[in-house]
Amino acid sequence: MIVQTAFAANAQEKALSIRDLTKDYPGVRAVDAVSFDIDRNTVHCLVGENGAGKSTIVKMLTGALAPTSGSMAILGRTYEPDSTQDARESGVGTLFQELHVVDQLTVLENLTLGMEASRFGFLVKSDLEGRVVKTLAAIEPTIDPKARVSSLSVAQKQIVEIARAASSGASIIIMDEPTAALSEREVERLFGVIRRLRDSDVTVIYISHKLDEIFELGDNVTVMRDGKHIATKPLADVNGRPELIEMMVGRAITHDYEPRGDIADNPVLTVKGLTNHLLKDVSFHVKGGEIVGFYGLVGAGKTEVARAIYGADKADGQIDFKGRKRAASPKEAIAAGIALVPEERRTQGLFTELAIRRNIPIMNIRKLASFGVFQDEREKEVAREYVGKLGIATNSIEKYAEKLSGGNQQKVVLSKCLFADADMLLLDEPTRGVDVGAKSEIYDLIRDLANNGRAICIFSSELEEVLGICDRVFLMYDGRIQAEIKNGTEVDIPHILNVVTGGGGENK
Amino acid sequence: MTDLTQSPQFGDRLKRFLKDYYIYLVLILVVVVLSTANLDKFPLFERGNFLSERNIINILRVSAPILTLAGAFTLLMISGYIDLSVGSAMSLSAVVYALLAINGVPFVPAFLATVLVGVLLGAINGFLVIRLKITPVIATLITLSLYKGIALLLVEDGVSAIKSGGGLKMPGWFNDYGRDGVFFGLPWAFWVAILVTIAMIVAQDRMKLGKYAAATGGNPMAAKLSGIDTARTVIILYVLVGICAALAGIARSSFMSLGDPLSGDGMELTAILVVLLGGTAFSGGEGRVLKSFIGALIIMSLTVGMLTLVPAYFQTLVVGTALLLAAASNHLVSRKDSES
Repeated sequence: MIVQTAFAANAQEKALSIRDLTKDYPGVRAVDAVSFDIDRNTVHCLVGENGAGKSTIVKMLTGALAPTSGSMAILGRTYEPDSTQDARESGVGTLFQELHVVDQLTVLENLTLGMEASRFGFLVKSDLEGRVVKTLAAIEPTIDPKARVSSLSVAQKQIVEIARAASSGASIIIMDEPTAALSEREVERLFGVIRRLRDSDVTVIYISHKLDEIFELGDNVTVMRDGKHIATKPLADVNGRPELIEMMVGRAITHDYEPRGDIADNPVLTVKGLTNHLLKDVSFHVKGGEIVGFYGLVGAGKTEVARAIYGADKADGQIDFKGRKRAASPKEAIAAGIALVPEERRTQGLFTELAIRRNIPIMNIRKLASFGVFQDEREKEVAREYVGKLGIATNSIEKYAEKLSGGNQQKVVLSKCLFADADMLLLDEPTRGVDVGAKSEIYDLIRDLANNGRAICIFSSELEEVLGICDRVFLMYDGRIQAEIKNGTEVDIPHILNVVTGGGGENK
Repeated sequence: MTDLTQSPQFGDRLKRFLKDYYIYLVLILVVVVLSTANLDKFPLFERGNFLSERNIINILRVSAPILTLAGAFTLLMISGYIDLSVGSAMSLSAVVYALLAINGVPFVPAFLATVLVGVLLGAINGFLVIRLKITPVIATLITLSLYKGIALLLVEDGVSAIKSGGGLKMPGWFNDYGRDGVFFGLPWAFWVAILVTIAMIVAQDRMKLGKYAAATGGNPMAAKLSGIDTARTVIILYVLVGICAALAGIARSSFMSLGDPLSGDGMELTAILVVLLGGTAFSGGEGRVLKSFIGALIIMSLTVGMLTLVPAYFQTLVVGTALLLAAASNHLVSRKDSES
């Protein structure tokens, strides 16, 4: 896969050169003519808001996606991986969020997996074991090569995977949000590993939302925004977080929030000290008729708050909904009048292989029964009613949910919640994968629902979304609510971005 | 959590010990119970003891088929796959072997030809699962039917099995392989089971195959990314199971002096039970060939022991209950292990 080509002369010294790299999806240009270089033996950070195009670039680097146009080169040689394995063979290793180690084997067996020396299928002694053990010892001496991987922590497993990449000759290792599941001490240890890697002739491409990590670890940084390359420069030349954030945001965020008047005085939902594997002391309240937003980046804990309120995850702390005790299961939450629109619509929100009319009443199917007998006609009536009320664009209520567009699918999910007589809606990424027109329809619908007295929580990683419709916004980072903001024309966007990337808020 | 932290050393060691050795403890327990029970009045144990030479030889002879099968079946289940057709493959092999013998084919060619049939049957399973991508349970349920169907067709109308009669006669040597004691009073069929088990232990610990089976079952994506040809690994394992099913069929057919097209019925369940009893995870990745072998000894001791201790209609229930207890204790031990 590597062929000599005529790149600029100095490209041969670059660990990786990217030229005019473009990736088109139907209707969207995810990455737009991006060019930058990565110096050898550096930690090169890649930053940008959600949707800036970082993950698309990573996928092209690891061979999971083919670019629409443009080129990549390693040390001046054209690099066109067609699979993750192909990328590995070209010396590009990746530390995925999902770990690729075999728990049932030992550390050493994992490190040599697929590379064992053998004769007629029988394993024979070779210097390979010695070499990988040395590599492991060099980057993290505390891991016992004979230990079973199942007995290691997530952080240690990550290090095993890094050692694997390093000992199989990777010259570039890509790490995508590697600290998401690590404790502070483990993060420090990982940073030590990364620094030792850099000193042993490995280039690390590091992707993280946590700007503190980037300043602590990185040599150079590339900023992406809306699929475009904004800047690549040494972190030493970046004037602190404000400059980085400004490059990431760049534009004035437009939001057409209008204050709403019909908010009840007393809270319907009060949460105190919610704590679990990810959440730390989350406390807030929501009033009837109010739209409250939770804004934070990937891994900040938004979904976990929603799931804890809904009774889907365990958590310590108090949750009081209309004077009732917390729901121990989704079933109890629904009975109490709380409904969740989950993050993954297709796998968690819908029965994609059922007709629209079968989906809508499914959370409260009893309402369609007379003396315990299901009434098919009533289901059709209900389905027609909701299709009309929410403006679901379909020619038939018999259509499979799978066949609908993202926006219409989301309206079906909302119908489900409304038919369940929910007084409180938890909407997790309500407009993900929904086109612009349908988005504004869904926003109007959410406002209507709130105006009718329902309490609404929106969990979103899109700043424009929360600033567009929420009355109050909680900023989350690292499992905590770091700050609360009252929405209005005066919101300080750099401040918000500072808080959600770990810059600390007023409650910290 | 709190009582664990008070004596972590002892608790951990005990758990570790139980996890590693419980299967041997169960075997000892079963043997002790069966040998202290009063068996005098039962005809099979006229010498009065479960541990009598005659009885041990008896049990091991009957056990040859499952002992032959357990090792390869363990490796297949470690790789995360399963073969429900082993019983039918065993029946078909038994019929083919008997058919060859009764038609005058000598022992060695008949034996090798039957083993080749096993290779073919295993390869068909591998092909369906890997190349046609049919779910293993469905694919091998299909071949369970197919192989048994062919076995039934090979037996003439109006007869239940291939056996002497109608002008044909089983050769005199037919019985020797499964019954005739060669070392310590035990027949070839048993010693072949031992050889196969040793080969499988070597494959598990000293060959790439064992590591690749564990990697394929433990984390298929990691295995692929490590450059392991998981498809090839699984096909080889299906062929190995096919070969062992053929060997088991030969053993059974020789022991019974006939080629019975139903002789392997239920073997798939026994094999799964034996392997699970030995601590192999149903989800793959984990397991030991030797422990499955011990598991097979436990099941066979129980089955034969039951024959004499418990009325026939209780036996299946008692075996099931014993298994449930064993499986539950195994589950409890490993669950505690993963929680800590």
